[in-house]
Amino acid sequence: MEIATVKGETRKIGNRHAMKNLRAGGMLPAVIYGHKEKPEHVALSRRDLLFALEQGSYVISLEVGGQTSQYLLKEIQYDHLQQHPQHVDLMRVTQDETVTIQAVLDFRGTPAGAQLGGTFRIAMKTLPVDCQVKAIPDAIRVDISHLGINESIYAGDVRLPDGTSYKGDPRAVVATLAGKRGMTAAELDAEEGAADGPDEPEVIGRTAKDDGDDES
Amino acid sequence: MPANMPRRVKWRKQQKGRNRGNACRGNKVTFGDYGLQSLDNGRVNSRHIEAGRIAATHYLQRQGRVYIRIFPHKPISSKPLETRMGKGKGETDIWTALVKPGTMLYELSGVTEEIAKAALLRIAHKMPVRTRFVVRRNER
Repeated sequence: MEIATVKGETRKIGNRHAMKNLRAGGMLPAVIYGHKEKPEHVALSRRDLLFALEQGSYVISLEVGGQTSQYLLKEIQYDHLQQHPQHVDLMRVTQDETVTIQAVLDFRGTPAGAQLGGTFRIAMKTLPVDCQVKAIPDAIRVDISHLGINESIYAGDVRLPDGTSYKGDPRAVVATLAGKRGMTAAELDAEEGAADGPDEPEVIGRTAKDDGDDES
Repeated sequence: MPANMPRRVKWRKQQKGRNRGNACRGNKVTFGDYGLQSLDNGRVNSRHIEAGRIAATHYLQRQGRVYIRIFPHKPISSKPLETRMGKGKGETDIWTALVKPGTMLYELSGVTEEIAKAALLRIAHKMPVRTRFVVRRNER
């Protein structure tokens, strides 16, 4: 597991103008909580955080005022375009603590049914797993080479690395190889065209008599 | 059935309203791997939506899957041509979806990024708003 170093500084709780100025200066507001201690407000270097996210880090090493501590990246809020991070939630953790993370699934191989025209569809790109902080996996490899047409891989079938466990529904579909649809695009269009409903939607609670009264 | 209007409505006509602000929901790639995101406020009507769907499905040749993330809920009325003013509100002309900056318009799955970009660009040409191509981000 990669642990990226992020530079930060303490900050005061401010209004939105203060946060706007903070972001304009290349920093991001963040809050640290957990272990039943008082929450701390800090500002992180935006550049360092983006680098950590690019590396796929779950835990960051935060350097504030010469002191370095490790925190779990609990949540990142983005702007309306889901493009730029706006705020970060950090959780205090110890190396032996068990945490729930969204582990990235790494699908390996070419499905056997792909040659027959099947389309590989991913239902879950991440899997929520419980593991110790020191044992957070970079990614969980899922072998898809045996997958035939109309077959699926379920969450219970995924081989988890040592020290991780999945407590969700084992019958949850992770990925599937869907068969080709029986109709051509033109046929599909024609059918969709034929399935067109009336020109106007039905008005709830209105009868034909009411409509007649309207027109008069 | 194409997404061209609701099946049942409580009222036949609506007031114009205003379309302001940014999308705070429906702004993530949820169903597919790639998405087309609106950058403007605007109205995307049922003809735009259908034109976009056709453009993408014809390009994809039954590869992958196209998800339409918007639905035209709002009726827009208009008066017939060469009609004098008055005599009440016009009849419903078209159904539209109100979109805001951030709204995910379409999503694609089961294709490579290159093909998805080309397919979504074809949809983008049919849209009355500026758009951008986005890739799904893994949630934490």
